[in-house]
Amino acid sequence: MNFKRDISTRTYSGFALSALLVLTILNILIQNVPSKIHRAGETLLGVNAQEGVANAVTTVVVYFRGFDTLGEIAVLFIAALGIGLMLSAQTKEADKEESNFILQKASKMLFPIIMLFGVYVMIYGHLSPGGGFQGGVIIASGVLLLLISDQTFEVPHAVISALETFAGISYVFIGLIGLIVLDRFLGNFLPHDISEMGMLFSGGIIPLIYIVVGIKVGSEMSLIVQNLLKRRDDD
Amino acid sequence: MTGLIILMAFIAIIVVAFATVLQKSLPDAVILFMGVGLGSVVLFFVFQAPDVALTEAVIGAGISAIIFLMAIKHFKEV
Repeated sequence: MNFKRDISTRTYSGFALSALLVLTILNILIQNVPSKIHRAGETLLGVNAQEGVANAVTTVVVYFRGFDTLGEIAVLFIAALGIGLMLSAQTKEADKEESNFILQKASKMLFPIIMLFGVYVMIYGHLSPGGGFQGGVIIASGVLLLLISDQTFEVPHAVISALETFAGISYVFIGLIGLIVLDRFLGNFLPHDISEMGMLFSGGIIPLIYIVVGIKVGSEMSLIVQNLLKRRDDD
Repeated sequence: MTGLIILMAFIAIIVVAFATVLQKSLPDAVILFMGVGLGSVVLFFVFQAPDVALTEAVIGAGISAIIFLMAIKHFKEV
C-alpha cells in the first residue's frame, strides 16, 4: 500500500521533472538556435568556394563531413555482409524459366546506357547534382535489370570483391596522405584553385573520393541485389 | 506556377499514400508506394534540392520497391 503510493508519487514527480526539462530545452532552442543554424549554413557556404567545387552539397558530404561518409560506407559494407551471410547466393536448380523475349532484348540494349548514366553521375558529382552514392545505386539497378532478364547471368564475384577492396583501401589511403601532407585526415592535398571551379578536373581530391565511393557502393549494392534475387526458394 | 506544382505534388502524395494503405493486394501497394516516392521527387526538385531528389528517385522509388517485391514473392503472395 505504502509502496504503491510511493511509486505513483515517484512517477508523477518524474513526469513533472521531464516536462520541466523539455520546456527548458524548447525555450533554449527557440531563443538561440535558429540564428545559429543560419550562421552555420552561411559559414559553410562561404568556406565552400575555397575548395573550388561547384556543388556545395558535395563539398559538405565529401570534405567537411568526409569522416562521416567513411562511416556510412562502413555501415553499407556491414549491411552487405549481413545479407550475404543470411542469404548466400545459390543459383536455383532446374526450374529456370525463360523471361519474356522483349525484356531480354530490351535489357541488353538498355544496360550500357544505364551504366553510362551511372558513371556520368558519379564522375560529375562535384559539378552537378548526384555523386558516388547515386551513381553507384544507378549502376546496381542496371545490374538488377540484367539479373531479372537473363536467368543465367551472375555477377562475377572475383571482380566485384577486387573492386570493392580497392575502393575501400584507396579511400582510407587518400585520407592518410592528407594526414601526412596537411596534418589533417582527408586534407585536400591536390591543387584546388578557385579559378578552375566548374571544370572537370577541379576540387583536388573531392572528385577522386566520390568516384571511389561510387565504385564501392555500386559493387556492394550489386552483390546485395544478387543475393536477394538468386536465393533458393526452400527455407 | 511553382505554388501550383507544389500543391499538386502534396495532394498527389497524400492521395497515393492513402491508396497504398487501403490496398488489399501487396504488389499493388508496393507500386503505389513507388508513386509516393515519385511525388516526393517532384517536391524535392521544386524545393531546389536536386541531390536529394536524385537519391530519392534511385533508392526510394527504385531499389526499395524491388526489395519489397522480392520479400512478397518469398512469402508466396504474388
